[in-house]
Amino acid sequence: MMEQGSQTTESPVLSRRDLLKATLIGGGLALSGFSFLHWVKGPVLTASTFIGKAGNYQADLKHIILRGLAELGITRTIITGKRILLKPNLVEPHRSSPHINTHPLVVRGAIEAFLSLGAGSVLVAEGPGHRHDTLLVLEESGLGDVLYEDHIPFADVNMMDGISLPNLGRQTKLATLTFPKVIQQVDWIVSMAKMKTHHWAGATLSMKNLFGMMPGIYYGWPKNVLHQEGIPQSILDINASLQPHFAIIDGITGMEGDGPIMGTPINAGVLVMGHNLPAVDATCCRVMGIDPARISYLKKADQWLGPIQELAIEQRGEPWRSVQVPFALDPEIPAHHGLRLT
Amino acid sequence: MLVPLLNTIRNSQLPNGGFPYQADELARTDSTSWAVLAMSAFEDTEQSCMQGRVYLRSQQSTDGHVSISQEQHRASWPTPLAILAWGMDPQFRQARDSAIHFLLNFSGHHYPQGDTSIMAHDTSLVGWPWIADTHSWVIPTAIAITALQSSGITTHPRIAQGLAMLLDRQLPHGGWNSGNTLVFGKELLPLPECTGIALQALAGNTERPLVEHSLSYLLDQLPHLRTPISLGWALLGLGAWGLRPAQTESIIRESLALQNRHGSYAIPSLALLLCAAQAPQGLHSFLRTRPLEATVSTTHGNKS
Repeated sequence: MMEQGSQTTESPVLSRRDLLKATLIGGGLALSGFSFLHWVKGPVLTASTFIGKAGNYQADLKHIILRGLAELGITRTIITGKRILLKPNLVEPHRSSPHINTHPLVVRGAIEAFLSLGAGSVLVAEGPGHRHDTLLVLEESGLGDVLYEDHIPFADVNMMDGISLPNLGRQTKLATLTFPKVIQQVDWIVSMAKMKTHHWAGATLSMKNLFGMMPGIYYGWPKNVLHQEGIPQSILDINASLQPHFAIIDGITGMEGDGPIMGTPINAGVLVMGHNLPAVDATCCRVMGIDPARISYLKKADQWLGPIQELAIEQRGEPWRSVQVPFALDPEIPAHHGLRLT
Repeated sequence: MLVPLLNTIRNSQLPNGGFPYQADELARTDSTSWAVLAMSAFEDTEQSCMQGRVYLRSQQSTDGHVSISQEQHRASWPTPLAILAWGMDPQFRQARDSAIHFLLNFSGHHYPQGDTSIMAHDTSLVGWPWIADTHSWVIPTAIAITALQSSGITTHPRIAQGLAMLLDRQLPHGGWNSGNTLVFGKELLPLPECTGIALQALAGNTERPLVEHSLSYLLDQLPHLRTPISLGWALLGLGAWGLRPAQTESIIRESLALQNRHGSYAIPSLALLLCAAQAPQGLHSFLRTRPLEATVSTTHGNKS
C-alpha cells in the first residue's frame, strides 16, 4: 500500500479519477489481450486483512471499523476529502429474512467511520440483483431508515446510465463492461458484503458483491448477462476492471446452507476488512470453514488480483482460527462439494 | 392529485421530445415510453405525446427494436414499452409494426429442461428476455404480452407460449419471483412488482383459480406497499382482476408524499403511478379508453 507508506506489495491506491484516466489510456492494450492490470501494478502477492469481533449489531461497529482501518494503515490523511462509495449487499431483501443482506447498522458504522476520518462525502449505491423496486429494497432491508436519519444519499445503480470501460480481466468474452456513471464521481469504492455461502459460486463475499455495481438496464435482472457469461469469470472481470479499494464483510450474522437467499442465519460474530478483496474473501472463507483454493474465482485470482494463501496474508486483529465457525454446506448443492477446509 | 403529477411529468420533457430518467439527465427510451403512456390519457397532452413518440421513433433500430441506448443494442427490453407509447396513433404505425415484427421474432435463450431438483421451472418455454441472448424472465415477458395485445394482436403462438411460461413461473404458494420458482428444492419468495406485472398480463387470458393464490398474496401485501414501482404494478395487477381497492387515490397520495423521504421519484415511477390512478381495470382498460383505439377495442373483448 504505497499510499499508506507500508512495505507490503499490496496494490497502490489510485484515485478513481487516476484510474479512469489510466484505464482509458490502457484500453487499447487491454483489448489487444495485454493485461493492463499487470502493466499498472503487477500481480498482488501479499496483503493484510483485519478481523474484528462483534457479538451483535448493537456493538460499537464504528469503533471496530475505525480500529480495522487503523490496523490496516488507513489514516485520516488518506481519507480526508475522499468521496467514498459504500456498496452493501441488498440482493433480495425480505422483512422476514434480514440475514440475506448487509445489516444497515454495519453500513451506518462505515458511514460514521469514514466521515470521522474526514471523508469528503459518503454515498451508498446498490443495484439489487433480483429486485426492480430499489426503494422497496431500502425499506424492507431497514437501510432506508439509516440513510434518511443520517442524510446519506443513495444511488440506484440498476437504473443508472453507464460508462463502458475495457474488460481488463478477459475471463468472459465481453470486450467492455458498463459500470454506473457514479464511479466517475467517487474516489473509493468499498464493497460491503455479507458473509454467505452461495449455491452457484460456493461463497459470496466482497468480490461477488460487485455484481451489484452492474446496472440492470444493461445486464438485466438478475444480472442475466453475467450469469450467461459465467459467474466466476464475471466476478474476475468486474474486479479486475473496477479495481475496488476496500472491503468490509458483515459476518456478525451470516448465511449458511442454500445461500445467497434461502439459507439459514449463522452467527460468526466478526467484521472482516482489508484493501485487497481476494485476500479478504480468502480470510472469510477460512472463518467459514471453507478452503478458499476450492472456490474457483478465488483460485484464479490468486497471484493475480490478490493473494489467497494463508502465508501471503498478514492477519491483523483476531486470528482467523480463533473465530472460525464452520458454515453448513449443502450436500445437495454441487458447488458446495469438496469446499470444506481440512 | 393527478394534475400536479401530470404536470411534473410533462415539464420534464426535453427539447428533443424525450424524457430523462431523472431531472438533469439525457432522454431515455424507457422513461419516454412511460411518460407518453401516462400522458396519453389526458386530452391536452397531444403535442407532448407526439414529440415523445417522434423521439422514440428516432431511437428505433432498422430491425425494429428500441434499446435502452444506442450503444447497448442487446438491451432491447424497452421495445414493448415503445409499442405501448406509440399506441394506435396512425402516424407511428410503421414504427409500431416494425417493433411488433421484431418482438414476435425475438426470444430469450431456451434449452431443454434439465434436473428439476436444481431448477424446477421449465427452461424450454419461450418468453422474452431483458437482454438479447439470455434467458426469459417474468417482467419482460409480461410487458411484451401486454404490448402485443394492446396493439390488437389478441392471439399469436408467441403470446400463448409467453402466457404458458408465466404460469409455469408462478410460485406454488402464489406470486412471482424474477423468474425462478424452486431452486435446489426451495421455493423462492414472491416479489410484489413481479407479481403485479404478471397478473396484469394474465388477466383475460387465463382462469382466475389458476392465479388465486397470487391475488391473495398481492392483496395481503398491498397495505405494506407505498414505493411507486411495487404499488403501481400491484394496483394495475389487482385492477386487471377487478380487485382495485376503493382507497386507491389516497394510497397513491401516500406514495407521492414519501418523496419527502426518498427524494423526487424517477419519471417512470411517476408515470406508473399516474397509469395506476387512471386505469381502474389494468393497463388494457386504460389503453382501450383512448379515443384513437376505439377501432380496435373489440379485438380485446375477452379482456373486459
